[in-house]
Amino acid sequence: MQLLPEYREDIPRVERFNFVARLTHWSHTVTFLLCLFTGLVLFLDSVDWLAAIFGGYAGAGLVHRISAVIMTLSILFFVVFDFKGIINWIKDILRFGINDIKFVMLFPLEFLGFPVKMPPQTRFNGGEKGNSIVTPTCVILLVLSGYIMWFPSIFPAGLVRVAYPIHDIAMVLATVMVCMHAYLGSFHPGSGESFWGMWKGTVRSDWAQHHHAIWYEETYGEKAKTESAD
Amino acid sequence: MAYLTNLYDTSRCTACRGCQVACKNWNQLPAVIEPFQGNYQTHKDTNGDTYTIVKMIETEDPVDGVIWNFLKYQCMHCFEPACMKVCPRGAYTKTDWGATIHDPDKCIGCQYCTYACPFEIPKYRKREDKIAKCTLCADRVEEGLQPACAATCAPGALMFGDRDELLQYAEDRVKFLRANGFPRATIYGKLELGGLNKIYVLTDTPDKFGLPVNPKIPGQIPFWQDWIQPYLGWLIPIALAGSAVSFVTTRILANKHGEHDEGGHE
Repeated sequence: MQLLPEYREDIPRVERFNFVARLTHWSHTVTFLLCLFTGLVLFLDSVDWLAAIFGGYAGAGLVHRISAVIMTLSILFFVVFDFKGIINWIKDILRFGINDIKFVMLFPLEFLGFPVKMPPQTRFNGGEKGNSIVTPTCVILLVLSGYIMWFPSIFPAGLVRVAYPIHDIAMVLATVMVCMHAYLGSFHPGSGESFWGMWKGTVRSDWAQHHHAIWYEETYGEKAKTESAD
Repeated sequence: MAYLTNLYDTSRCTACRGCQVACKNWNQLPAVIEPFQGNYQTHKDTNGDTYTIVKMIETEDPVDGVIWNFLKYQCMHCFEPACMKVCPRGAYTKTDWGATIHDPDKCIGCQYCTYACPFEIPKYRKREDKIAKCTLCADRVEEGLQPACAATCAPGALMFGDRDELLQYAEDRVKFLRANGFPRATIYGKLELGGLNKIYVLTDTPDKFGLPVNPKIPGQIPFWQDWIQPYLGWLIPIALAGSAVSFVTTRILANKHGEHDEGGHE
């Protein structure tokens, strides 16, 4: 059984994510998963075998804190080195419109594998726009509430008390998004090609045309070519 | 088993702080020297190496003039302790006679308990990266002794014994105080937070002693512990199960409809 779509070099490819975005994405992946499993040790009320993987509860706490710091640094890295990319990302999220609503409504069918004709999408489709809002918001909340819980003595007590439920809610929502995102961005036959967009940076141009028609037209289509020629 | 309680009578306390010394002595806690605060109080608050302090509270009253109140402050050994509720390691236990015990071997120093406690009693002990607090001298009581503070109290402000008997004593004492120049004398710890395993006889209202008049566990704590922790996390296995279902159905349907066209599917 095929898991990932094959990486085809014989078909023309277009760039989807630059190096900074990819490095941020994968450093975030590693640190998020480390934080998730070390954090679940406490969220699930003392899971001894999970704690043992990280060398006990103190070890899990240390891994959690180191990963959290690297996660924070990777966010700063993204902001410093690809600020324009973030702005373009936000601009694309703000283009949420009727096509995205249609996409989200039809998506359950697509998700299960029924053939669906989707309306043309911008760089990020309706579902990806949702993920782009929920996950970064949750991660920022996780980072902020995490530092409050790490150094409670320098924050007001009321803020510390609010930080606990926020950390948990943000963790659960982000993990739900990550589960769906990881699956859709890899093993889902329809959107699996986007894995190569994040791993190697390029996707097949016919896939881009099919899944992100508006983005493809604006970036690599005839119109964009003539504009750049001018 | 009946509850064994410490009773503290503010009307008898002379603020000699023998209880503080006895506590340090029995629990083998190092001295914590804090800068002068402008009054006779030794420490601003309890800390990781000081389980109990005598607070000295000065208030100025237009009728009664300057009042100087003393209050021995330590863990209240609540019947429904918030610290026990939030501890992710289950480090807190209740003895059958009412003491709230903290097990440092299980503690990871996350300090959730410090901020859940309405009295902010569990304190972080930096040298061990763990929480520490009053044990109601469970090690002494279980051997038939009194807690160190009660055993040492010279003026008889601290008494230890059966909770019901001490409550009876406290009520008689409050009646006596009310009739003898302390009309606002009251009992603290009988009903607060569903009962504290610590009874105070106060010569004035609790706020004059720096005690919360109507202590409450902060609302975020039950919201977090009773709703988010047990239920919200189920969204994660649901998301995983959804992905697993899709993994199977997409492949079954692909076989049915034939392979996808190059570059995706219609």
